[in-house]
Amino acid sequence: MKRQVAIVEDEPAIRDNYAAAFTREGYVVRAYGNRKQAMAAFAARLPDLAVIDISLEEEPEGGFELCRQLRALSPELPIIFLTARDSELDAVSGLRLGADDFLTKDLSLAHLIARVNALFRRVDALRKPSETSQVIRRGPLTLDGERMQVEWEGQVVLLSLTEFWIVHALARNPGHVKNRQQLMDAANVVLDDNTITSHVKRIRRKFQSIDPTFDAVQTVYGMGYRWVE
Amino acid sequence: MSLRLKLLLLGLLTLVLPWGGCRYARQMEAALREGELNSLQAVTQTMAASLQGRTDLLYREGKNHDVAQATATITAQATSDPQTATSEAPTSATAATSTPVSSASEPQPAPSDDEPARSQPSPYDLTPIMLRAPPFLDGYGDEWPRTPGIWRYFTRDKHRFGILTGVYERMLYGLIEVEDDHLVFDAPGTNPLEPSGIGDRVWLGMRDPQGVERQFFLPAPGAGVVTARRIETGEYGQQLAVDEPRITGAWQPNAKGYRVEFRVPLSMIGQRFGVLIDERNERGATPISYGTLYSDDLHTVGHLIVSAPELTGYLAQFIQPGLRLAVTTASGSLLAQADAMGQVAILRPQRGTLALFYRRFVDRPGERTPLVSSAPIYDRDHHNVIGNLTATETADRWTRLRDRALTEMLNFTIITSGAAIIAMFAFAAWLAVRLSRLRRASESALTREGLVTTFPETEAPDELGDVARGFSTLLGRLNEYTGYLRTLAGKLAHEIRTPLTIVRSSLENLESEKEVPASARIYLERARQGSERLNAILVAMGAATRVEEAISNAERSRFDLVPLIASAADSYRIAFPERRFATELPPETLMIDGAPDLIMQMLDKLIDNAVDFSPAGATITLRLSVDSHLAVLEVDNPGPPIAPKAQGRLFESLWQSRRDSGGDSDSRPHFGLGLYIVRLIAEFHGGSASAESLPGDAGARFTVRLARP
Repeated sequence: MKRQVAIVEDEPAIRDNYAAAFTREGYVVRAYGNRKQAMAAFAARLPDLAVIDISLEEEPEGGFELCRQLRALSPELPIIFLTARDSELDAVSGLRLGADDFLTKDLSLAHLIARVNALFRRVDALRKPSETSQVIRRGPLTLDGERMQVEWEGQVVLLSLTEFWIVHALARNPGHVKNRQQLMDAANVVLDDNTITSHVKRIRRKFQSIDPTFDAVQTVYGMGYRWVE
Repeated sequence: MSLRLKLLLLGLLTLVLPWGGCRYARQMEAALREGELNSLQAVTQTMAASLQGRTDLLYREGKNHDVAQATATITAQATSDPQTATSEAPTSATAATSTPVSSASEPQPAPSDDEPARSQPSPYDLTPIMLRAPPFLDGYGDEWPRTPGIWRYFTRDKHRFGILTGVYERMLYGLIEVEDDHLVFDAPGTNPLEPSGIGDRVWLGMRDPQGVERQFFLPAPGAGVVTARRIETGEYGQQLAVDEPRITGAWQPNAKGYRVEFRVPLSMIGQRFGVLIDERNERGATPISYGTLYSDDLHTVGHLIVSAPELTGYLAQFIQPGLRLAVTTASGSLLAQADAMGQVAILRPQRGTLALFYRRFVDRPGERTPLVSSAPIYDRDHHNVIGNLTATETADRWTRLRDRALTEMLNFTIITSGAAIIAMFAFAAWLAVRLSRLRRASESALTREGLVTTFPETEAPDELGDVARGFSTLLGRLNEYTGYLRTLAGKLAHEIRTPLTIVRSSLENLESEKEVPASARIYLERARQGSERLNAILVAMGAATRVEEAISNAERSRFDLVPLIASAADSYRIAFPERRFATELPPETLMIDGAPDLIMQMLDKLIDNAVDFSPAGATITLRLSVDSHLAVLEVDNPGPPIAPKAQGRLFESLWQSRRDSGGDSDSRPHFGLGLYIVRLIAEFHGGSASAESLPGDAGARFTVRLARP
C-alpha cells in the first residue's frame, strides 16, 4: 500500500511543488495550509509521515504546536520540520519536541525525498528484529545501519537521522578525521559549519545524558572531528 | 579658556565690593577729619577768645613781655653794651638775631612794675620751659632736654656760658653750663665774702613780687650741693653772707668747665630774673663778669617769662582725651600746656595682622597726623597779640573708628567675595565635570565601528540634562537604525528564502517531468544555476545572524591556543596550495577561555581575506604572542595596504571593499561580513580586532586581541 505523507505548509506554491515531487515518488500526499486543517485531518486519520513547516500562517511557531499535538496522538510517527529560518534555536526546540529531523527549505527536492525514504526505511527496520550484518560495534557503541539506531552501553540513544549519519560517518572509521564537508555529505544535507557544530554538540549531549563520561567524539581543530575509542 | 577659569574671572568681579567699601571708608574718614578739624578750630577760637585780655593768666605778673603786634616785626637796635653779647637763638620761633635792647652804654634802669608792655623782647629775658619732672640737683644735666634751640648763650671775650631754665610746679630750675678752662673754688672754710678767698661765683638776681631787687650767690666750696647766700648788712654795717635755704644749687666740674644746677621758688621772683657769672682765674682775682645782670649792682635787666600757675589749671579744665592745649607767647615760647594726647578712650587700636595689612593699603599719607589748630590771644583792645593758643588733636579717635569699621567691612566683603568666588569655581568645576562626563559618554557611546552602547540616564532638570537626554534620544534612534541595518541582511535573506524555494522546487519538478524538450533543458539548467547562486547569496547574507546566534549559544572552555593555531595552519596549507603559511608561536602554552570552534571560524575568515588580497606564491604569516593580559594573534599578508579611511570601518557589517580579483575564480559572494564576524568573535572572547598596513605599505596586518584568564 502506498504510504501516506502529510505536508503542512502555508505557502501554496511550495506546498504544491512538494506534493508533486512526493507524488512522483510514489507516495500519497495530503497537503494542508494551516494547523487547524491539519490537526482536524490528523485527528480523523493519521498519516505515515508528516512534513511540517514551522511557521504556519499567523502563527510563527505553529509548527511546533502541531508537532506536540501530533506526538500526543502518535509517539512513533516520523516528523520532519521544514523551515525557512535556519536559526539553531529552532533546531533545538524542534528536536526536543520529538521531531525526527530538521531541514531547511533550501534543501533540494531530491534530498528531501531521500530523507523521507530513509525515515521510512528506519521505521520498517525498527519493526523488524535487527539484522547483524548492518550492525557496527565500536566499544560501547552499537550502530545499526538498517534500523538507523544507535545504542551506547546497551541503551538506545535517540538521534535524529542527520545525527545518526554523522555518528555513522565518524564511527565507521574510528581515528579518521572527517571534516565538516564530509560530514555534511554523509548526512545528505547542505549545512553550514555552524550547524554541523551544533549537531555535534547535540550528539555529545545526548550521549552524555546516558553516560556522563562520554568523549568519543573528538574535535580536531581546523580539520574536523573523529571518533576515538 | 576653560569654564572654570572663566567663572573664576567672573567671580573676581565681586572684588568690586571690598574696593568700593574702601573708597567709602576713605571718604567717610576724610569727612570725619574735616568735621573734626572744624570743631577743633571752633574750640580753639572759643578758648582763645575766653583768654582774651587775660594777661594775668598768661603771665605771672600780668604783663606781657613778649609782645607781637598782629603785623609786628621785631626792630633791632644796636648796642655797645660790653656786657651784652650775641645770644644764639633761644627758641625755634623767635626771629631774634642779635638784638640787644638798650642803646645806652649801660642798660637802662629797671622800669617799675607797672610799666606798660614793651614793644620789643629783650635778649636778657629768660623763658623757662615746662619741665615734666623736677630735675635732681646734682650738677649733672641728665634730666634736662638737650634740644639745641632752647639754650641761651652769653659770651664775653672768650668766655661763654649757656643757660636753660625750666619751671615745674612752683619752682624755677636752672642749668648753667660754663666754659671755663680753670674752675676755681672758693677757699674752703673762709668767709665767702672775703675777697681773697673767692673763686668762680654764680649770682642770681631777681626783682621780687614787691619790686625789690634781690641778689643771691651760690658759693663754691667744692663740687656738690650748696645753699645760696644773700648779703645782708649787719648791725655794725658789716656785710654778712646769710644762708638762703630756699635757693639751692649744685656744682659739678666737667670737661669744658663746670655745671651748676639751681632751684628758686617762683614766689620769690617777680617779673625779673637774671644770672651773672664771675669768672676768676685764681682766688681773689678780679672777676670777669657777664650774664643778664648789671655787673655793678647786680640789677636785673631781663624778665622771666612764665605763665601764671593758674593757666595750666585753666587749660586742664578743657582737656579731653586725645587733645593737647598749649599756650605760647607770640614768639612761640611755651607758657603752659595741658596734654592728654596719649589717652584715647574710644576703642583700642586694631592690632591684628589683617588690620595692619588693610591699613597699609588703604591709608593715604598724612591721614594719621594729628590735627592742629591755633588761634591768637588778643589783649583787651583786640589790638595786640599777647599769646597763641594751639590745640593739637590726635587723629587716633576717628582713625580707630575708621579702622574698626574698615576691618569689619573688609573682612566681611572679602569673605563673601571669596565665598562667592569659591562657590562659582566649585559650580563651574561641577559643571565641567558634568560636561566632560557627557562628552566621554557620547564619545564612547558610538564606537569607531558604529556600535552604539548604552548612554547614561540623567534626570537633571537643567539645560545640561536636556542636552544629555537629547544625546540619549539621538543615540537611541541611531541605535535602532543601525540595528535595523545590521539585521537587514538577515531579514532580507529570510524574506527571499520562500520565493526562492518556490523557484527551486518548481525547477526541480520541471526537471523531473519527462516531456521536457531537449532544447528547453538548457534553459532549465541556467535557471537552476541562477537559483543556486541566489541561494548562495542568501546563505552568505544570513551568515552574520547565524554567527551572532552561535556566539550567544556558545559554550566556553579553557584551551590552549598554540596547538590550535598550529593545526589550523596545517589545514590551510592543504586548502590553499598557492600560498605559503608561516607561523610564529610562543614556546609555552597560551590558555584562553572561549569557544575553539569560533576561534577557528574567525581564523578561517581572516585567512580567506589574506588569501584574497595577496598574490600567488605569497607567504601569509600567523603570529601568536602575549601582551600583558591579552593574547595577540596577527595575520600578515603581503599585498595592497589598508586605506586609512577604511581602517575603522573594515569591521563594520556589510562593509565592502573587495577588489575585483579576476585571478581567483571564487564565485562566493562577498558581503563584507567576514571581518564583521571576526570582530564579533573577538569581542566574544573579551578582545578586539583591528587592521593596519604593514610598514612600507607592503601589505596588511590584521590583529585580534583576546582576553587571557
